[in-house]
Amino acid sequence: MLRMTNLSKVYRTHMIETHALRGFEIDVRQGEFVTVTGPSGSGKTSFLNIAGLLEEFSAGEYVLDGVNVKGLDDNARSKLRNEKLGFIFQGFNLIPDLNLFDNVDVPLRYRGFNAAERKKRIEDALAKVGLASRMKHYPAELSGGQQQRVAIARALAGSPKLLLADEPTGNLDSQMARGVMELLEEINAAGTTILMVTHDPELAVRTSRNVHIVDGQVSDLVRRGATLVDTSATA
Amino acid sequence: MFSYYFKLGVRSLRRNPVLTALMVLTLAVGVAASVSTLTILHMMSNDPLPNKSDRLFVPLLDAGPLEGYTPGEKPDDIQMTYQDAQNMLKSGQGVHRTVLYNIAMSAEPPRREIPPQMLSGLAPTRDFFAMFDVPFLYGQPWSAQDDARAADVVVLSRKIAEKMFGNVNPVGQRLTLKGVPFTVVGVADTWKMLPRVYQLAGGSHYGQDEEFFVPLSSAIRHETEHHGGMSCSQDIGPGFSARLASECTWVTAWFETASSRDRADLQAWLDNYADDQRKLGRMKRKAANHLYNVTEWMEYTKVVGTDSKLQTWLAFGFLALCLVNTIGLLLAKFSARASEIGVRRALGASRSEIFLQFLIETGVVGLVGGTLGLLLAFGALALIRMSNGTMRAVAHMDWQMLGLTFLLSIGAAIVAGLLPTWRACQVTPAIQLKSQ
Repeated sequence: MLRMTNLSKVYRTHMIETHALRGFEIDVRQGEFVTVTGPSGSGKTSFLNIAGLLEEFSAGEYVLDGVNVKGLDDNARSKLRNEKLGFIFQGFNLIPDLNLFDNVDVPLRYRGFNAAERKKRIEDALAKVGLASRMKHYPAELSGGQQQRVAIARALAGSPKLLLADEPTGNLDSQMARGVMELLEEINAAGTTILMVTHDPELAVRTSRNVHIVDGQVSDLVRRGATLVDTSATA
Repeated sequence: MFSYYFKLGVRSLRRNPVLTALMVLTLAVGVAASVSTLTILHMMSNDPLPNKSDRLFVPLLDAGPLEGYTPGEKPDDIQMTYQDAQNMLKSGQGVHRTVLYNIAMSAEPPRREIPPQMLSGLAPTRDFFAMFDVPFLYGQPWSAQDDARAADVVVLSRKIAEKMFGNVNPVGQRLTLKGVPFTVVGVADTWKMLPRVYQLAGGSHYGQDEEFFVPLSSAIRHETEHHGGMSCSQDIGPGFSARLASECTWVTAWFETASSRDRADLQAWLDNYADDQRKLGRMKRKAANHLYNVTEWMEYTKVVGTDSKLQTWLAFGFLALCLVNTIGLLLAKFSARASEIGVRRALGASRSEIFLQFLIETGVVGLVGGTLGLLLAFGALALIRMSNGTMRAVAHMDWQMLGLTFLLSIGAAIVAGLLPTWRACQVTPAIQLKSQ
């Protein structure tokens, strides 16, 4: 589903060169639920932005669902992002002056679906997150957990192959966080690949695989029973 | 996607009402200023006879004295002598021809309750009515025989006919003009030629309609003074007949040809005529003889003054200033939308989609600004009409200007929106999404 080979990302100013990722290698298979952990500044966000085609990488190779993204222009990257990826953010990132229906509608508009198809997908997605009855409400009228559910519905409406979640429970209390996590597990169980950045070690152990990033390099951990085993040394 | 973006644009107007109101008002004021001055310029420079303006010609001969003449300079006089005008009439050139001058006559209304009054009119020949498409409510122009025998007949304007005779057909009735009974042969329907191109010498180019028309020959027979400018290079003897025989210029001649291609023939005739006159000792300057069609004549006589043109340029300069302000306001508005742009980009919008969305949004601002600008322009034109009598006829908006207002407003808004929109496209989504 997602394969990065010897990938690097360098941020340059006229004075400083910062290596956010170096020799970065990862292979995420279809249907996996992978958590990405690491200390602040380790390169998690850069990895997620590159995976989400929101940033270019400096060197290496990135293949997303069989498509080598290197050298694609903005239109092709946007199309790929729209068709294959779904995003969930820590801050929900709903558009405040659009109601829930119109928020979920945004990625579908760019896909070019007709009105009937869009309506069906929006209603299905909102029903899946338990908010079908509130589609005319505005984000400000919802709790944080509900807003994140809307964001998940928006991400799901276009039937993405890969869901990218950036600390989706970071702004939620533990009860709401649990609800969102259970929802993500349901989505993964239904076949959608999920890549989730988190600081929460409890969430990390719930998934089948944890990728730990330190200094822009990956340390791959796989759950073996109740513990996580580092496989990168043997890889 | 256009309707989707248009809907988003309308919704966005409500997002920040103060900023929106400022943008709309700035744009509206700029558009109103430029549209109202442009409307006046447009009406002033309007081709009054678009179907035949290339077939109507006014001849210009230089009958001025040799003293003070620099070869090649154009005559500063736009009228001609009566004797030349008479020769033009007799020439048989073109399909129609006329000679005319402005007159004023005292009228004694048949209705006793109306006091005598001075009327402004025109003394042309019969062909004038056909050449300048004068519509008739009653009757018709006088006949060629009336011209030939200098008959005392009159064509009244609708306004004067109703004033003098009431709402009846007055054809056949008599109206005393200058103490002489004139028979009414026709009533011209409401007719406004803007500018009053047939007689640009003397009087306002956009002033009131002619109140009556009498045959040139009749006006001459009654020694009716011209009511406008006259140019004389030397003293003339006493009496009206001396003026008719003089080299003073005070009448205007017009020719209508069957086709614009006949211009060369008319020019050749005019040149031959001038040569003949020189052989008779006239037209000593040996200047070129000119023929002007309607639009050339308007240009030559500077119907649209440089003041009007300058005002229009200044108004457009003001619009440019308003646009600079609008750019600043749009930059502020769009920079506040950076997070939305980031979200849309993450959800699949390409830079070109964002560009289109925000450009349409500025178009919506332009549409609203145009509507308000139109109302302001109507108000400004009404004020101009009230405060300036000579502008009354031209300070009116037509459909062309109405359409232009919206095009100008939307176009101006889009031009103003280009930089803010381009900046919006450059938003880095990753930064915006993380900073939420």
